[in-house]
Amino acid sequence: MKQQFSDAELEAYLDESVSAARLASVEAALREAPELVDRLATIAGRRDAGVHSLGAIWRRRRLTCPSREQLGSFLLGVLDPGHTAYLQFHLDEVGCRYCNASITDLREQHAADDTLASESRRSKYFQSSAGYLAPED
Amino acid sequence: MADTANPDQLLVQEIRQGKPDAWTNLIAQYEGRLLAFVDSRLSYGKRGAFGKRGRRAASEDVVQDTFIGFLTSLPNYDSRRPLESWLFSIAAHKLTDYLRREGRRPAIPLSTGDGSSGNWELAGKARGASSIARSGERQGLEADAIAEGIEQQLERWQQAGDWKKIKCMELLFVVGSGNKKVAEQLDLSEQQVANFKFDFLERLRKIVRSGRLNEDVFPDLHET
Repeated sequence: MKQQFSDAELEAYLDESVSAARLASVEAALREAPELVDRLATIAGRRDAGVHSLGAIWRRRRLTCPSREQLGSFLLGVLDPGHTAYLQFHLDEVGCRYCNASITDLREQHAADDTLASESRRSKYFQSSAGYLAPED
Repeated sequence: MADTANPDQLLVQEIRQGKPDAWTNLIAQYEGRLLAFVDSRLSYGKRGAFGKRGRRAASEDVVQDTFIGFLTSLPNYDSRRPLESWLFSIAAHKLTDYLRREGRRPAIPLSTGDGSSGNWELAGKARGASSIARSGERQGLEADAIAEGIEQQLERWQQAGDWKKIKCMELLFVVGSGNKKVAEQLDLSEQQVANFKFDFLERLRKIVRSGRLNEDVFPDLHET
């Protein structure tokens, strides 16, 4: 069945801000439907020209993304039921990639066997970037 | 001047001073979520040939580029902006570059129309780029005004525990679903969805008018 994408989803694709599954669907459709490339080009051009969409402002400002502390409370199951249900919706139905990434990270932080691997990564990131660290004029 | 109540601003201030401990702290705080962000994309639906270890290494390379990108773009970073969002936006750019190099993500032409005018004009509006062209600063003010208007409404609904209205607006404007689909998903009538949407947009239109902003640059405000 042919996939349908809203303009808001295509704009989110340009920003890499919807779920990986939805991004993969857009990419698969782009390979088969040149008209979808035209739609994306139109959306990109509209943005470049300074036309605002509410969805883009909402996503970029992360107006409904919970704080890191709220995500932690969500994992611990200590939020009220309405708030918990809303965050589940934000993660699953909206597919917020930033919040899903934070949730994955919080879960992995609680897994003890990840400690050595993360220490090694952090050291690698520091070594590769520290040369760019310099006092600003 | 850093806001002393904001630990991220203090951290960035110390990084601007070239302090290695501060840089180590930032990496420790943010690398996990950045890696999860990148890895969810690179690992999605991929099996076999490249291998899980190879994909993980590629994800780590993108995160490494993100941290380097953060330091090289530090002079442009406005520390009033949330640090996490800034890092995610750099990661998204680095990820996009990587996916293009790998041939997974097509390059999007800026214009597919003939000539130099492009094809971005809004349907039903006889208005060209030159008539709404304005400075980046002006565009930022417009986005600020709308974001503040949306935040005010979200805060009111959240305080009242009215999560359904928040879900409704998020599905309409962030996901881009139509009224009918939203009504089905949230167990509302289409009329209720239309009413919520009208009230939401009407408040935003008032903000735009009171700020003497150009309504034409917000086509969503005239959705039905």
